[in-house]
Amino acid sequence: MSGSSNVGMHIDHNVQEDPEKLAEFEAKIDAGQLIEPDDWLPQAYRTGMLKMAEHHANSEIIGALPEGEWITRAPSLRRKLALTAKVQDEVGHGQMLYRVSQDLGKTRDQMLRDLITGVTKYHNVFNYPAPTWGDIAMIQWLIDGAAIMNQKSLADGAYGPYVRTMKRINMEEAFHFKCGEDMVLTLMSGTAQQRVLGQDAFDRWWYPSLMFFGPPDKPNCRNLPPMRWRMKTVTNDDLRQRFINRFVPAAKDLGLKIHVVKKSDDGMVIEKQLDPNLHYDESTENWTVTDPDWEEFYRVIRGGGPCNKQRLGLRRFSYEQGRWVRIAIMNGRAGLPPAA
Amino acid sequence: MDSLPENLKQPMIDLLLAVADDKLMLGHRNSDWTGLGPILEEDIAFSSLAQDEIAHAQVIYELLSPLVDKTADELAYGRSVDQYRCAQIVELPDNFDWAVAIARQFFCDHFDRLRLRALSHSSYKPLADVASRLAAEEQVHVDHVDAWIVRLGRGNDESKRRLQTALDQLSPMAPMLFEPVDREAELTGAGLYPQAETDMFHAWRDVLQHVAHEGGLALELSPPNAGAQGGRRGHHSEHLKSLLDEMCEVYRLEPGVAW
Repeated sequence: MSGSSNVGMHIDHNVQEDPEKLAEFEAKIDAGQLIEPDDWLPQAYRTGMLKMAEHHANSEIIGALPEGEWITRAPSLRRKLALTAKVQDEVGHGQMLYRVSQDLGKTRDQMLRDLITGVTKYHNVFNYPAPTWGDIAMIQWLIDGAAIMNQKSLADGAYGPYVRTMKRINMEEAFHFKCGEDMVLTLMSGTAQQRVLGQDAFDRWWYPSLMFFGPPDKPNCRNLPPMRWRMKTVTNDDLRQRFINRFVPAAKDLGLKIHVVKKSDDGMVIEKQLDPNLHYDESTENWTVTDPDWEEFYRVIRGGGPCNKQRLGLRRFSYEQGRWVRIAIMNGRAGLPPAA
Repeated sequence: MDSLPENLKQPMIDLLLAVADDKLMLGHRNSDWTGLGPILEEDIAFSSLAQDEIAHAQVIYELLSPLVDKTADELAYGRSVDQYRCAQIVELPDNFDWAVAIARQFFCDHFDRLRLRALSHSSYKPLADVASRLAAEEQVHVDHVDAWIVRLGRGNDESKRRLQTALDQLSPMAPMLFEPVDREAELTGAGLYPQAETDMFHAWRDVLQHVAHEGGLALELSPPNAGAQGGRRGHHSEHLKSLLDEMCEVYRLEPGVAW
């Protein structure tokens, strides 16, 4: 479900690479060729790709949790089946992306342990609450919609295994998005109570979905390694604008109102007003909306979001509950004890 | 035959509810593991088993739909606790203990496979057609869970001990899967549910014991006491109420509307 646009890319530029090999590597990238794991890779590229794929994998399996909690409460057999299959897909994406990461040199168990001990991160968007069925509809529509936009751009990248995985994931995400669209449409064309569920959930998820693409661009972002080496192909702000242009009119068509909101610490909306900056600019053909609160974004990344503890706690519970199973059937290879 | 004799409608409704309710509750319990399984690959596999069970339940509710004039969703979500016909073993929570989940699956899947095979020879053709299709999928479930029983049984001391404990915990209640629904004998007499009850229990016990022994595990199973009343007659554990309260939380906001 999620992309990796807000993963930190702390790359060590002091590593001295063989200039000839580096030039050869960059020429390949410039020529639009795919890089494979057996190719010569600059250390910073290997580290960066691993961080990106690992962060993405973490996000998939943490992303399974908020929606997974609603499988047992889905209101019809059809929705129950679809949601189970959807969350199963996310776990499958996690599995594929951990495989990509494993090839870059880190064991799966180490990655799972680093996730539950907070050494590595996952996508910020999963630190927000999903208190009603309406949230499940909005997550599948807005967040999966955002993920598709991001992952389509990542599928144009240069690292072969990641690119192939993105293409496969995007096909599945397209189903999730369709399903989310249908759920939102059903709510918004339903009873008064259902429409309120839909609008309230939209108000909770609109800003997290704008923040989904990561912080505002740095002025030189196109020249930094992630884009120079085509680990990323579109900037955060460009992706965000695409999203706004696609979803503002769609939301209006569904009868949803775009609000600027103030939230309590537990992520619930306590004040809202119609977005005063919402307008369509004919000259740029872009929709404009009020910017997200970037202080909130950084606070949530640092662990201060409404659900950080809950999500990691559940992930840790699952890791610890399954430990004896992994030791028993994988001869202990995957059963390292969690770090203290 | 393509339609049911009027006097056998009610027992057939109860039988079909027993089949569908077993599958729905088991699928519901198993679906809760999606995203929390012990290994990513098994997380995905177990979720597929859950989806199969829920989809099987849906197919059987749809078969029932014209007989009771209710939709599949109304049947799944819209009854009071005593109107369900599932066995108590599928109501049991596993508290994310993989050994309990696997043991529950083991008892239920083998039973379900035998029941579907018997139903695939039903003289009621719409049921026979559906049952033979579902029986093929149930065979995959059985193969999967048998592999887990053997692997955990042979894994190490801890996995063997945990699984043995779970089997011991569930084996007294598991035979109640065979509790007949009201007037089941009449269905059998009419060829609608062709099964020799004793033979089916023995077949079930033999195959479970064979697999358990392969995993180095002990398993004792006795036939249910004649006259014992359980889920097939609407007597449920306290777990079914809490399961339904959770499952129907959204549905009950406004029953009957589209979600």
